[in-house]
Amino acid sequence: MSYLIHSDVAILTQRLTEAEATVKAILSGEIDAVVDPRSNSPVLLALAQKALRESEARYRSIVETANEGIWMMNFDSTITFVNQRLADMLGYRPSEVVGRSFYDFIPPKGREEAGRRLKRASLGRAEESEGTILQRSGQETWVLIKSNRIHDSAGESTGMLAMITDATRHRAAERALRESEAEHRQIVESTSDGIIKIDRSSIITFVNARLAEMLGYTSAELVGTTLLSIVARSERANLLQSIMERQQDNTTTLETFYRHKLGAEIAVSIAGSSLLDGQGELVGVLGVVRDVTERKKLQAQLIVSDRMASVGTLAAGVAHEINNPLAAVIANLEFIDEGVAMLQVSGVADQDPEWFRERITDPMLDARAAAERVRFIVRDLMIFSRSPTDEPKHAVDVNAVLESSLRMGWNEVRHRAELVKHLGTVPFAVANEARLGQVFLNLIVNAAQSLPVGQVSSHEIRVSTFQAGESVVIEIGDTGSGIAPEVIERIFDAFYTTKSVGVGTGLGLAICQRIVTDMGGTLTVTSTLGVGSVFRVCIPVAVETAATPPEVQSAHFFEAGGRLLIVDDEEAVGRILRRSLDKNYDICIVDSACAALALIEAGDTFDLILCDLMMPSMTGMDLHSTLLRVAPAQAQRMMFMTGGAFTDEARQFLASSGVIHVEKPFHLEFLRATVHEFLVRAECIR
Amino acid sequence: MARLSAPSEILRLRLYIAGNGPNSLLAHANISALCHEQFSNRYELEIVDLLESPDRASSDGVIVTPTLLKLSPAPVQRIIGNLNNATQVLLSLGAS
Repeated sequence: MSYLIHSDVAILTQRLTEAEATVKAILSGEIDAVVDPRSNSPVLLALAQKALRESEARYRSIVETANEGIWMMNFDSTITFVNQRLADMLGYRPSEVVGRSFYDFIPPKGREEAGRRLKRASLGRAEESEGTILQRSGQETWVLIKSNRIHDSAGESTGMLAMITDATRHRAAERALRESEAEHRQIVESTSDGIIKIDRSSIITFVNARLAEMLGYTSAELVGTTLLSIVARSERANLLQSIMERQQDNTTTLETFYRHKLGAEIAVSIAGSSLLDGQGELVGVLGVVRDVTERKKLQAQLIVSDRMASVGTLAAGVAHEINNPLAAVIANLEFIDEGVAMLQVSGVADQDPEWFRERITDPMLDARAAAERVRFIVRDLMIFSRSPTDEPKHAVDVNAVLESSLRMGWNEVRHRAELVKHLGTVPFAVANEARLGQVFLNLIVNAAQSLPVGQVSSHEIRVSTFQAGESVVIEIGDTGSGIAPEVIERIFDAFYTTKSVGVGTGLGLAICQRIVTDMGGTLTVTSTLGVGSVFRVCIPVAVETAATPPEVQSAHFFEAGGRLLIVDDEEAVGRILRRSLDKNYDICIVDSACAALALIEAGDTFDLILCDLMMPSMTGMDLHSTLLRVAPAQAQRMMFMTGGAFTDEARQFLASSGVIHVEKPFHLEFLRATVHEFLVRAECIR
Repeated sequence: MARLSAPSEILRLRLYIAGNGPNSLLAHANISALCHEQFSNRYELEIVDLLESPDRASSDGVIVTPTLLKLSPAPVQRIIGNLNNATQVLLSLGAS
């Protein structure tokens, strides 16, 4: 066999170029030597021929058994070769494909791009692309195309070779993977929990947007840093240990504190799970992180409120027990005092004024002052007894609340500092008395605890009140060491405390601030190192002032008369009420609600029924509701006394409209005025 | 007997070979026999052994051996291989 080449026209085979003819001749073993173009010397091919033949056979078998379709073409787009695989893909026999334009096998809309691809290949760029081929059936197949230029032995490019892979399934799989990836990413990024991944050396390898936001960083800032950089300093040792332990464990939940970029500690709950590679080796840990700061705060508040509520319930019970006899003590002392005053007026005292003062007046004053102190102590206790859940806000005399808190905190203050008070005349403020008292006490105790014991003369606790615009301002200052700037910004954070374990819960100021904020006020602090700190509470001024106690209208005070029923299980209270009221009224006393009911059911009527609220077996409330049914007019005549409404039911009852009550212990004058007013009003209604 | 398209003109051939390579010998034998048979005395055959005179290759642009060049009559033609297929060779040489 021979191959003929003409310099202008290929005669033997139109399609064969000189190079192709040469190559084919070489392949068919008809060549002895090749001229090395560099040296011009012929290189004998005797041995190379055999190798070439074998190599060619090998390539042919590769080409024919390849999974990829392969075709070659000239730059004029004529296909010069196609393997079986591609012919199958196209649905033709190889001989039907060779010699045709490759555009015949490209869908019309893909031809422009295919032309560009051929052009690029002619410039020598190997490339991978995607496109479609047209099958005999008219169906289009999505394929991956790797194309490259082919050269002859002289280095001239003779055409293009392209390897074609059916990408339909590949593409579907890729799309499915992309969609699944996007879906998972969306889940990860939209969850309200933070998600973090660390490797075995605790280096952060992934965080989702929520975690970054929680910590005040961007995701990029966190990835690559160590886990320790986002953990609160105090927790680092614990965390390291727990990571060590977790090497074996697969899932754990732990609570710890992270550190915000700006320094605040964040309480977090982390559900961690180990990440294993294919061989079961630990490669890292995945954590689902929940910010529980708010929950912890609420929990802590709940605990404190709970404790306060228990203390309050106890205090209310105790107060009730004390107030009843105390009412008798105070009212009787007052009654005796009135008698003493009469003696002085009548001139009896003048017979031996010295003796009268020493034996009557002075002891009397001391007894009354001491009784008053007991009254205040019980009232202070009662401040904490009011349920924090139904915190009604009233117009409150801030100075009175402050005085009360100062009395309670006095023990802490008196061994450490002089108390300097500048209480201005301030309007009533809208607040909850019990809560406000709690805030003041807390601030007073804090101020005291900032000072050492024993240097009373060199330290001061300054308490002042004044009005500033629409606010009542209360300042509580100390001459302690002051608060460092880095501490002051965290001082209102829950759990933050500079006190040693067991001394402070770290909750006081957080709760104080919450309480004040709930009242529509502010709690702020200013501090100078070495000089001291001042805490400032601002509460809005009340629009209406509190109802003033009824005026004592002595002009027609003794003129009103009437029939009074006194119901009290504390007999001493009943007796002093009789003593102080029977000059003006027709008094009837019973020691139980049942007895009172019996009288009324028997047809007796009263202008006023002065009834104790809390009594065994039948309470004042029970009597009231029974009278509403059996004698409604008498129910209208009820006025209540109480030494402490220590049940929710009692508090709600007293808060309901139309119920008038007086607190025990009471001053006789006040009681007389209230009784009088009640009768006058009832008379007017009638 | 084959005839040249221009019988008056002498067929001028040049065969490039590489020593005693099998294809070179075969080509030499084939073309000598063919010419002797078909063109009797109206041909000139020059044998160029590139192992002896390698510089001759570049002048005719020969890159492999054996290569047969038909120098005249025009057009110049080039046949690569061992010239085993006499029919094709004759066709290429323009003999009818």
